[in-house]
Amino acid sequence: MEYTIKYKAVNTYDAPVDEAFWQFLLRPEENETQRVRLSKFSNSINAAVDASTNTFGFPICRVHLKKAVERISFEANYIISKKHSNPFSALDSVVNPVHTQLLNSLDFKIEYERFLGETSLTTLNREALPFKFSDSHSIFDNLNELNAWIYKNFEFKTRVTDVTITPSEFLAQGAGVCQDFTHLFLTIARLHQIPARYTSGYLHQGNGYKGDSQMHAWAECYIPEKGWLGFDPANNLIALENHIKVAHGRDYADCAPIKGIIYSNSEKNETNYVVEVQAREESEPDVFMDFEVSEPLPFAQQLAFQSQWQQQQYQQQQQLRQQQNPLDSSEL
Amino acid sequence: MSTTQQTIFSSYDKDPKFFDEIFDEKGNVKEVYQTLFDLYSGHSSQDFAKLNDKAKASFFNQGITFQVYTDQEAKEKIFPFDLFPRIIDHKEWETIERGVLQRSKALNHFIWDIYHDKKIIKQGIIPLDLITSSANYLQQMIGIDPPGGIYNHISGTDLIKHADGKYYVLEDNIRCPSGVSYVICNRTALKRALFGVFNHYNAHTVTDYAQNLLEIMESVKPRGVDEPNCVVITPGVYNSAYYEHSYLAKSMGVELVEGRDLFVENDFVYMQTIKGPERVDVIYRRIDDAFLDPLEFRPDSALGVPGLFSAYKKGNVCLVNAPGTGFADDKAVYTYMPEIIKYYLGEEPILNNVHTYHCSRPDELKYVLENVDKLVIKPVDEAGGYGISIGNRLTKEEIEKVKKTIQASPRKYIAQPIMSLSVHATYIEESESFESRHVDLRTFCLLGADKEFVLKGGLTRVALKKGNLIVNSSQGGGSKDTWVLKK
Repeated sequence: MEYTIKYKAVNTYDAPVDEAFWQFLLRPEENETQRVRLSKFSNSINAAVDASTNTFGFPICRVHLKKAVERISFEANYIISKKHSNPFSALDSVVNPVHTQLLNSLDFKIEYERFLGETSLTTLNREALPFKFSDSHSIFDNLNELNAWIYKNFEFKTRVTDVTITPSEFLAQGAGVCQDFTHLFLTIARLHQIPARYTSGYLHQGNGYKGDSQMHAWAECYIPEKGWLGFDPANNLIALENHIKVAHGRDYADCAPIKGIIYSNSEKNETNYVVEVQAREESEPDVFMDFEVSEPLPFAQQLAFQSQWQQQQYQQQQQLRQQQNPLDSSEL
Repeated sequence: MSTTQQTIFSSYDKDPKFFDEIFDEKGNVKEVYQTLFDLYSGHSSQDFAKLNDKAKASFFNQGITFQVYTDQEAKEKIFPFDLFPRIIDHKEWETIERGVLQRSKALNHFIWDIYHDKKIIKQGIIPLDLITSSANYLQQMIGIDPPGGIYNHISGTDLIKHADGKYYVLEDNIRCPSGVSYVICNRTALKRALFGVFNHYNAHTVTDYAQNLLEIMESVKPRGVDEPNCVVITPGVYNSAYYEHSYLAKSMGVELVEGRDLFVENDFVYMQTIKGPERVDVIYRRIDDAFLDPLEFRPDSALGVPGLFSAYKKGNVCLVNAPGTGFADDKAVYTYMPEIIKYYLGEEPILNNVHTYHCSRPDELKYVLENVDKLVIKPVDEAGGYGISIGNRLTKEEIEKVKKTIQASPRKYIAQPIMSLSVHATYIEESESFESRHVDLRTFCLLGADKEFVLKGGLTRVALKKGNLIVNSSQGGGSKDTWVLKK
């Protein structure tokens, strides 16, 4: 399968932005099932693009804006090849006591500690655990049942939650978007000692999947002897050829597609995103172009979806500077 | 002379419960203090009132202040300075110096291990939860090799002297230990007020700290850099330790910067100057981990530098101290310090830890239950002094209640002997005389690549309120010049 992916973000401000930093985590991962054949990243003002890697080793690109602008757009284009795969042949439904033993061993807990511990977005009281694994089911079956349970009991609804919502708030609300579904899945899996990680990526458009109009999120769990397998609780799917992975981390904060630090007196701002994913069965010749800067883009589309990661007013930051006064950790 | 001695030391209260730094058990002045005692006894209380004002003026003129935060506002205050210096002879000092160096090195090994192989956890010496549950354990630091292999370049170990006359470590500070500028200013103030006394004692200098700090910073320069460009980054003028940040930058001869003076490009850090961008190689940061880089840690931080952490991860800049050291100076980790020292260095600890009884271990639980009146009982998972019971202040009924609580969940509690801080003669303005007050000692230890340094001196903090054991400056504490004598 060949996918042509376009990601576009358009930021507008009602007053000029003097200085800003943006960081993007958009490029599909290279792995056993995915190959990136074209990769392009550009911005409308031709600012230089830095390449770096994040904590988990995924490539990111950064833009440091040094001149005043009121609007800026970013566009990423990728062409990738994705293999069909069928993990079911390898997954058994029989409880394996060796696996249970492994999950409880100290060395295993140390090795997967990153994906077993709670974060502020994946925290829940053990007493409030809404779904319990069955001892008579295999790890895979339990995770699959969890996937179905979340899908059935929560409504997929945009603009009722933001990226800072916790699993208990989501439980109370009963509705949210893919991040919320994923965070709940991760929380419950981790409380059952299964290493689980947040995964961001693109979704095949045109199959009617929930969350396909934006970047999507799902969970990957570590199954002993089999490795990491993706579960998409917003669609009750196993992540296969329709899920194009970009990055993983402990929660959304590690995988945010765009982060921005903006210094401006602007009171109002808008960020609009477009994600287009086109699938084709045949493939094109290989082209490799990394972070190539293309011609300035015309200022275009308007869609509504606000980034929570952008803290805007410099004024506000000045206030913060005065209010917080973070003390040295060990004061006299 | 005996009459003046009576006046300025007449209200001196000798309490055998505490170790007295100046007087021995028989009430005689200790040898090392004799000359100083005689010199001071030759002055009247009016003289000392005058000298006290002079010392205050010296602090005011040097601009040494600190901030006290109240609900509404922050007030600038002069740090109270005491006229009677603390004297430590070379023998006693040698133990302290070896002891704090040993702890710093062991902590550095420990932090490296936790962010790499976690061998000490695999060996079952330290529980995994103890580390991963700490808010200061940074996932981002896993697998990172800091330049020179050093995490805690600067350590501030706090010591007290117990009634048995031995030093005990209260805590290790390896995030951003502050206070060294007061050590140097105390020396200046005492010299200005009472220069003559220095003719009778041969004390080590403390002004070489900045030079050594600079050398330590230069020793951990990134690969491929010949002459590293070092800077000090401060949260800004509103920070309570701003005086110290500017003092250190000035005395090292390096730039003092704020977050917005720096920027990152292609994972290198640059400083904006009037001549254009200048690369920065080593940063002594006085900003907490969470505020270092808004793209990596707290996104609302206005104090940090976007992209700084990726530059650090690539090894293109060195941060002093490294991010993520905070889990290792945790209260809970403290109780494991003797084991940590033995595990990494194969040595016995030189300085005493305050002994800790883990109620989870049956025989220790038995001892605790039998001796509640002699112990401090602390819950392991509470911070800020909550849930602490001090045995000798409890009634019989309260002791029974505490015992029941411990027995109900022994895993939740630890117990420590009640420690008493030693006392030292201290000038008290109200009585215009010298009285005994409790003191502790903060030491400063530097670790670099193939270089180490312990400041020969330290910050002796003194609780100015009578009977008070809390020496913190925010609680009305002051400080003393601290002399380490040469051989």
